[in-house]
Order: sequence, then C-alpha cells, then structure tokens
Amino acid sequence: MVRVLDLTRQAGVYATRLLAEEGHEVIRIESPAGDDLRHLGPFLGGVPGIEDGAYHQFFNAGKRSLALDLTTAEGREAFERLARTAGVIVASTPLPLSEDELRALRPELVLVVITGEDRSELLAYARAGLLSITGHPGRMPVLMGGHIVYAATGAWVMVAAAAALLVQQLTGEGQTVTVDIQQCFETFLDHAVENYTAKGRTTERRGHRGAVTPISGAFPSEDGFWMLSLHDSLERWKTLMDWMQDPVLADDESLLNYDERLKHRDLILDRIGTWAQAFPKQDLVIEAQRRRIPSAPVSTSLELAEDVQLIDRRFLVQAAHPVHGKMLFPRGALATVWDQDIGFAPALGSANAELLGELGYTPEEQVLLFERSVS
Amino acid sequence: MVSDVLLAPEKQGGRGPVAGLKVLDFTHVFAGPFCTRTLADLGADIVHVESRQRDPGDRHRAAYAHRNKRSISLDLKNEAGHAVATRLAMAADVIVENFSSSVMRRLKLDYDTLSVEHPRLIYISLSGYGHTGPRNAWTSMNMNLQAYTGLMMTTGSEGDPPTSISNSWNDYMGGLHGVMAILRALSERAVSGCGRNIDLSQFECSVATLGPLLMASAVSGRPPKRAGNRSSSAAPQGVYPCTGEDEWCTLRIETGAQWRALATLIGAPELANDKRLASAVGRMRHHDELDARIGAWTRQRSKFEAEELLQRAGVPAERMRRVAEIVESPDCGEVYKPVPSDRPRPVLACSLPFTFSRSTVAAVTPSCRLGEHTEEVLHDWLGIDDAEIAALERRGGFV
Repeated sequence: MVRVLDLTRQAGVYATRLLAEEGHEVIRIESPAGDDLRHLGPFLGGVPGIEDGAYHQFFNAGKRSLALDLTTAEGREAFERLARTAGVIVASTPLPLSEDELRALRPELVLVVITGEDRSELLAYARAGLLSITGHPGRMPVLMGGHIVYAATGAWVMVAAAAALLVQQLTGEGQTVTVDIQQCFETFLDHAVENYTAKGRTTERRGHRGAVTPISGAFPSEDGFWMLSLHDSLERWKTLMDWMQDPVLADDESLLNYDERLKHRDLILDRIGTWAQAFPKQDLVIEAQRRRIPSAPVSTSLELAEDVQLIDRRFLVQAAHPVHGKMLFPRGALATVWDQDIGFAPALGSANAELLGELGYTPEEQVLLFERSVS
Repeated sequence: MVSDVLLAPEKQGGRGPVAGLKVLDFTHVFAGPFCTRTLADLGADIVHVESRQRDPGDRHRAAYAHRNKRSISLDLKNEAGHAVATRLAMAADVIVENFSSSVMRRLKLDYDTLSVEHPRLIYISLSGYGHTGPRNAWTSMNMNLQAYTGLMMTTGSEGDPPTSISNSWNDYMGGLHGVMAILRALSERAVSGCGRNIDLSQFECSVATLGPLLMASAVSGRPPKRAGNRSSSAAPQGVYPCTGEDEWCTLRIETGAQWRALATLIGAPELANDKRLASAVGRMRHHDELDARIGAWTRQRSKFEAEELLQRAGVPAERMRRVAEIVESPDCGEVYKPVPSDRPRPVLACSLPFTFSRSTVAAVTPSCRLGEHTEEVLHDWLGIDDAEIAALERRGGFV
C-alpha cells in the first residue's frame, strides 16, 4: 500500500476514492477554505455547509484531509516534504513543484496529471457527442444527471493510475501518466463511432425505449416504471409472445425475423406498454425474470439507498455518521469485493496536526502555519 | 506451466504495463470484452475462447469488442476441446468470464476447480448483480441496469419519463472496474504468490457512480431533484435550439463579464444593465425568462454560427456534435484511431484516453476472426506441435 496525494477536482476525484477502497492511504490536499467539491450540492441534511456536501461525503470517504495553501512558500515547503513520502500524486490542479523537481525528490513516483478539465461538464458533454445520444427523440437532449459522467472519467483515471502503480511495484520505476478528460468523455461513444464508420449507421436518442437493444424500454405499470430488455434471439421473442398473448404481435409471422422486429420496434414497444399497465411493477419484474427475460424496476436513488441486493452483499453497510447519525453507507464496488471498510469523509484539515508533526513541524511551527492561514 | 512474467519483470521502457500477462477470455457482450480489450491496450495477451456453435454472427464481431485479441475456437463440450481449455486455463494468469455462475461450474472451469492446481490464478466474474444475494440469478442487460441503478431517474428534468443514454453505459462501468480489480489482484499476487477469485457486480459498479445521491437520499428520505441541463452553481446554463432539425448549442455563464457579453450579443443590452440579473442568484431566479430570450436568438442561427459568435464574444459555448462530427472534425475525436483494414472507408476504434511516459499503449489492430489464432495460441501458450494439433482436430476439439 502506498501514500497517495490527492489534488483532483470533480473529473478525477473518483479515482482517489477507488485508491482508498483498495486500502491505500489517500491524503486529500485542500486549500484552507476547503476544495470545490465541498461546495457542491445536494447537502446531507439539506443545509449548505463545507462538511455536508453529498459529493464530498461520498468521493472523499476513506481519505485524510490536509489543509494547505500551496500558493505560499511555506505551503510549498510542506508539500515538498510530503511528496518525498508519496507513492502516487493524482493532480488536476497546478502543483507547486515541476515534474522534474518531483522526480528528483522521488524517482519512483507515479505522477498522474489530469488535463482537459477546464471545459465545464455540459459543454464537454456536447463536444464529445454524448449529448446527441442522451434524452428523448424529438425533445431537447440532456446531460446525464448526478454528474455521473465525472465518476466515469474518474474510473479511467484510476485505470491509468493503477497500471502505473503496478509497474512501480514490480520494477521500482516511476513515470508520469497524462489523462485527458475530454478524451475520456469521447470513449463512451465508441460503439456509435464504429457503427457509423463501419456500417454508416447513426445512433439516436431513444429516451426510455430501445436505446441499444431494439426491444427494450421503460414502460409504465400500475405503480411506476419497470424495464424490460429482450435479447435479439428468436427464442426470447417467442418467450415474450407466450407471456403477453398479444393478438396483434403473436399472429404476425414476419416478426419471427429479427430485421422485421427492428423495423417495427415502435409498434412492438407500444403494445408492450399498453399491456403492462394493468400489472404492478414488482409482479412484472419477477415474472419476467422467472421467464429469463432481463427485467428490472426503474429506481430512484432513494429506493437504492435501501436495496436488498446492495445490503446483502455489504455494498451498503450500517454506519453511524458523526453528524447525520445512523445510515446505510455505500462502500463502493471495489471495497465490496475486497471487504474493505471505508471511513466517512474527513473534516477539513482534520489530519493537519498528525501529518505536519510527521513531517517534522514542531507545535510552534504548526501554530505559525495556521496563523498565517497556510494550513 | 504458470507464467512468472509478472514476478520477473523487465524494465518498462517500451512495454505495456501488463506486457506478457496471459488472459483467457470467456466473455461475450459487452462489459467482459471491454474489460479484456482495455487489458489488451495495456499490453496483455488476450486469448478469446469462442465456439462456432455459439457464434452470434458478424453483427457482433465489431472492432470495439474484439480488436487487439487472439481468437481460439474450441468446443467446450467435446472432451478434446475441453481438455485444451483446461490446459489453457492452467497456463493463464487471469481468466475473465461473464456467464452465469452455473455455466463455468458445469464446465469444470470455475475458480474452485482450477485453483486447486493453479493457486496463482486470478479469476474474475463480471456478472450483472454478483454471484451472491437475492438478485444473483437475475439476468441483466445494459438497459435494465440503467433503470435499476437510478441513472434513468437522475437524468432529465423533474416530471420527465425515465431517460437513458443510447450506449452500453453499464458495460463501460463494469469493464473499467473489472480492469482495476485485476490490476489490484496482480499487485497482491506479486507479494503473496496467490491469485484470487473476484466476484464483481456490474450493478454495484454503476450504483457507486451515483453514491453521492444515495447518501443524500438516505439522509433526506427523498429522491434528489432532477436538474435537467441546469447547474446548481451557474446561470444561465442550458441547451438551446438552432436552425435545422434537432440542432442545438450549449452555453454556460459563470461571470458577470460573460453575462454582459451574452446579453449584448443577443441584442438585449437592457438585460446586461438589469440589476436583478447582475448576480448568478438573480439570473437563476429568472432562468426560464432568460432561456426564452437566448433561445429566440439561437433559433435564428445554425449551431455552428451560434457557437462561433458566442465563443468570439467570450461566452463559453459548444454546439451539440453528432457522431459524424466527432469522426470528421480535426479538432476533436483524438481518442479514435483508424483500424488497419481493406475497407474503402476507415473504421475507427477507440484507444486509451491516456498516455504513459515510460510504458507504451498498444496500437489498434483489427478485430480477430473467430478461431483465427487457434494454432498460434496452442504453440505459444502450450507448446503443442502441429501433429498434436491435427490429432485434437480429428477428435473434434476445434469447433
């Protein structure tokens, strides 16, 4: 396990969370005013505050917080001492030391530099082509909610960091990895790009129906939406017909052909939608699964916060938050695999005394740094 | 024989981070193939085990799933074919599979069976919901996971129906986390000498990306608000209609100077001087009204013209690009590289969105054809000679 210095912003912060899930010691270096992520809502408890941002609480979980003003000479010196102890630095904010200076201090360092994060989320999303495939046909296209796309870019940053860390472990060699966020956005278009360049086929917004699998969609039921997606095979089509007993579709033999189903998918989706409205969503999902047809409820994060599968696998674990009390806390996908416990996100600067002490600052010097607003 | 490549590494210069890693790939669309494709980009030797009996046809033999891999065609139900698969498993560092749990057990290619004689094996299952828990037997596809993970009820505005993205979003999330888990297990193995079984749930990979909203809901007891295209920290921000069908331009105002530039550009200097709109809070309060004014201006212009005028005035803006524009514009789509092919038009495949200063990233190669590398892999991994291959073929191993 190595020491990780975390100077990421939104597009990279999931990477350092994942490093914490793997058991590394992650130190988040923030300005004494707190980093931007702390200012992003919604806020636990509903009232804005630098300790309560939901994004801060999730993505900084399992980390230590060091408040340090890197624009000052004193801050730079403390950072230099800390860098000597680091295995990896992940940064999307400017560092007080150049790459060469860092390399001289710590030759085996893995330095992950994140570029291309200056363009704001919606604009980057539009530029990468993702906006054109998100939303409902005939309506205004829409950004993916919840800043999910930044968790995905963070996942790419983690892959890059983890690969370089493995090389460091096995060879003792450090290196610099440069991750471009705009390119990360673009990767999620790869299926569409290949369809276009290999087959001349365009990818459109499909709203809640048939986005990738033609016979799929979110349909209203008696009590909310449920989702069905039917594999392209003839066998699955027959299974669905056996279940629905739809007089229009079942008698149409041309639909036994995949291409015909593709051509008439809107009719098929309309028929499924009308039929399903008479049943409760849970019944539909259970019966579809019994027939081996992929199906699921359409959930909100409120429903997921108490999901039986997530609880059973200990993705969600009971924990007592110091301010917000008992809750089911999402450990994360890697933490679940490794059964790694993750602490709550740190209060701003809560590791200052310990870390500065470790770096050789006397209590008097720590007071000086604090009084000069460096820490 | 167990590969010791990663215990006796050469220096990295000019090699992929996992060069020499032998990965036996039993995956099908798309989280699994994406996971192994990414490992291939990082230098691993991926052998994709396929059977002509299961071949879904050319429709799925796309470069995005199968490039940079070798394909071996085996009949796993035939004794000779199965024996070869087992020998390959014994030679592999990593096995990646995304069948349901019973399939690999029935084939005696599951972790418990293989690890008895091959304790260094790293074995990852990338199933929809994981191999334990009340949903472990649920079948899943990308759209189900977009629904169940909360993605569809987070995207869009309040009152909208569930809203999806037209790509295999959850497969990307599952595949990326799969790569991380494998890299971590390799790191562990380098110390302990032991491999491990990894039961990764695609569902959990995607839910994690919504972790903040789970925590917010757990405390508030309410689902979070759906923000559509608006920002909680800047206003106005939005997607505005332009001339032509389904053409749009985005913009975002962060500063007072940008706001005054926008108001002037759209011919509304009175808005620039309106005290109610001088602050972001004020502009947020009147967002609907401002959207109407901005939209009235963009509607008169093509998205190209709107984007250019806005950017020139100092207003952050980007037009909505379609796939064709990503492919054809010189100023974006850098991550896409041409796949060597004899087609008249170049096919583009996605490479990695990062570079290493010492390690290398594999160049994009064409999609492997089914069974294309059967003999080559048997030579390389098992040292089997031509005579033995002919014997295996006579016994029906390669179908």
